[in-house]
Amino acid sequence: MTTDTQERTTTRERSENPGDGPPPGRRGMPAGRVLVVLLVGIILWSLLYAPELKRSSEAQPDGLRRTISLAVLDPVVWVEDRVGLTRLIDNATQALGRHPNEAVGGGNDVDPLPSVPAPAHPVRHPQRDTTIRVPTVAKPLRVIVVGDSLAQGIGSFAERVFKPSLVDVIKQGRISTGLARPDYFNWPAQMRTIVDRSRPDLTIVMLGENDAQSLVTPAGQVVAQIGTGDFPPAYEQRVRAFASLATSEGGHVIWVGLPNPRDSRRWDFIERQNGAFQAVADQLPNVSFFDTWSTFASPGGGYSAYYHDGKHLTLVRADDGVHFNADGYTILMRLVAQFATDQFRLDPKTYEG
Amino acid sequence: MLFPTTDFAIFFCLVFLGHWWLNHNPRLWKPFMIAASYIFYGWWNWRYVFLLAAVSLITQVAAIAVDRQREPRRRSVALALGVAATIAPLLYFKYYGFFTVNVANAATTFGLHVAPPLIQVVLPVGVSFYTFMAIAYVVDIYRGDFEVASWVDLYLYLSFFPHLVAGPIVRPNELIPQLDVRRDPRHIDVAGAMWLILGGLFKKVVIANYLAGAIVDPVFGDPARHSSPEAIVAIVAYAVQIYCDFSGYTDIAIGVAKLLGFRFPQNFDRPYSAHSVQEFWRRWHMTLSRWLRDYLYIPLGGSRKGTTRTYVNLMITMLLGGLWHGAAWHFVVWGGLHGVYLAVGHWKDGKRESGQLAEPPETALVHGMQQLATFTLVCIAWTLFRADSVATALSLLARTVTAWGVPSPLVTAPVLLAISAGLVTQFLPHRPAERLKAALSRLRPVPLGVTVAVVLFLITTLGPRGVAPFIYFQF
Repeated sequence: MTTDTQERTTTRERSENPGDGPPPGRRGMPAGRVLVVLLVGIILWSLLYAPELKRSSEAQPDGLRRTISLAVLDPVVWVEDRVGLTRLIDNATQALGRHPNEAVGGGNDVDPLPSVPAPAHPVRHPQRDTTIRVPTVAKPLRVIVVGDSLAQGIGSFAERVFKPSLVDVIKQGRISTGLARPDYFNWPAQMRTIVDRSRPDLTIVMLGENDAQSLVTPAGQVVAQIGTGDFPPAYEQRVRAFASLATSEGGHVIWVGLPNPRDSRRWDFIERQNGAFQAVADQLPNVSFFDTWSTFASPGGGYSAYYHDGKHLTLVRADDGVHFNADGYTILMRLVAQFATDQFRLDPKTYEG
Repeated sequence: MLFPTTDFAIFFCLVFLGHWWLNHNPRLWKPFMIAASYIFYGWWNWRYVFLLAAVSLITQVAAIAVDRQREPRRRSVALALGVAATIAPLLYFKYYGFFTVNVANAATTFGLHVAPPLIQVVLPVGVSFYTFMAIAYVVDIYRGDFEVASWVDLYLYLSFFPHLVAGPIVRPNELIPQLDVRRDPRHIDVAGAMWLILGGLFKKVVIANYLAGAIVDPVFGDPARHSSPEAIVAIVAYAVQIYCDFSGYTDIAIGVAKLLGFRFPQNFDRPYSAHSVQEFWRRWHMTLSRWLRDYLYIPLGGSRKGTTRTYVNLMITMLLGGLWHGAAWHFVVWGGLHGVYLAVGHWKDGKRESGQLAEPPETALVHGMQQLATFTLVCIAWTLFRADSVATALSLLARTVTAWGVPSPLVTAPVLLAISAGLVTQFLPHRPAERLKAALSRLRPVPLGVTVAVVLFLITTLGPRGVAPFIYFQF
């Protein structure tokens, strides 16, 4: 804001040169040729970037947009593969610092996994609930947050809720992922890697928001069509397999349920998903289900963007009606930590005070 | 529709074709551009087009009402009612949640029970920008600076897609006259436009998006886990990120308008090379700065009503400017801090003019120190702007001095390189860029198209995956 003048700049003056031709020293171009520049630029870029565009399209949920994108890009990439252009583009991409096949939803939002030596005595899969060890400054807890964009949110705020001296938070949330599409991102394989390499004491899972689509294999073959009777048991089986993996080395899992979204047309499906998470948590030792839906729903059971803790009212949901805002993630993460204390005796010193 | 998407690329090619095809026929061209702009806006959420249409309707009714009053008092009343009606949707959409939470919690503090309706009001993109343009239009008519435009011109002025969602805040006299002039299709400054578009994309996709993920988001997300060097670098990185993000968007908007034969006002002029905070505001988001000056600060009395009133007016303007950026206390404190900076600058200017304070020597060292001091003050304020609360901002600022000797894994060579690249643009001379643009303008269409494709490929490959929204979309 300038304060050194009281002159307003508004006047009745009309621009002398309302158009915007080139300044002296620069040549202009007729509109028809400019269109050629635009088309050549966009088409050639699309060809150069086709492998990446195809990967982005594969990440989209089933639907017309994805179908059309892949129908256009599949033959382009096929031709580029045959003539060796893909390899050339991938080499150029690598030279610019990006791995062409790097895991999706990653980048800077995903922490590197720490390597923890294997224990001297193999840990057996727990037969009943155990407690989380008491951390020390010398041996802090490893808390890993896995899942989709909601997990990215709670991961970021887990760092703020847990004390850095007692808890190492490792964020593994990847946007647009779920259990339905291992062809896009294979969460069971990633969980295996996490457990083998980092042996988390506590894994916080928030997955499922992107799973309203048919279940496929890592090779992309459909095994259970959405909306059919095959879907619920197949989905619950995937949840069970994932939770079993996460606890296979003696770790604990808090499965954070999905909140109700603003769009009530999605409620039935999400309630069934939460039912599957709850059922698996009831069956497996060291796995507990946190009921996000009930925690944040309105007193009448509907969607509410606000949360009242008895003293303060807080706006907790993001504008999209699906995710939380910063205050919401902080409240959710704090409640999850308290829940871990209730269920697995997580030392409250790790987050209180 | 976001600029750096294939959706927009396809949309723009179609609009470009229709625009130049109908250029000679304003009766068809104007409805076509309004339709295109509404499609662009409705791409996010088709319901928002009704809001845009309603704000345009209210604005034009208010403008006509103001224009018809000849008696000054009635004219002022019409203006007040017109501005209130124009700004009412913005107040509702932007501040309902903030108001509800603060009123309910304040009442609880005093033992009262207040139960406001807990509605989640979703802020439509761009509403702050086109509302400010609408107010400028009504006020300019009140002042006699501008005549009432036709309905079609007003609808196109407010909805014209290059400026629609994040500015620049274009004045009526800067855009409406251009709507009635046939643009010259023979001499489009394609090199200048591409330079702006590709440069804007580079700043947004490569620098801003990279810095956000690599250091800004992690450190602002949890200051307590980061070292002093990380805290300092993250604060400077955010200064670069927000500059590259917002000026990148504006450059793309101006470049897109240029391809359609329109001229938009400049919005950024190397703000981090400023020697004072006053100069910073003459270089940063220039169209907002002049809007605040002309439609808020000067109507409040500006600096014409005595020293104390000048400081009060500055503080009111900057506090409201802060609140305009977001319905949260940290934005208000950010605005207030800038108000204090400007008040101190104004006080110093006054002392210098009266000879009570010596002018600083005109040396390169002093200039450099002034630039560094200004940049530091601006960065401290940015901390309040970016953090999700005042407490987090203070915690981060404290962290800059309390965590030395701790490892700083986020301070990497690429982060420092990206920051340097963003800052170097503030000090580079104009001439080499002008030469390059002149050379580009001599290329024939196909070689220029190939150049555009290769640069686009470099930008999209160097930047992080995915499309991050522009920071200023939320305002």
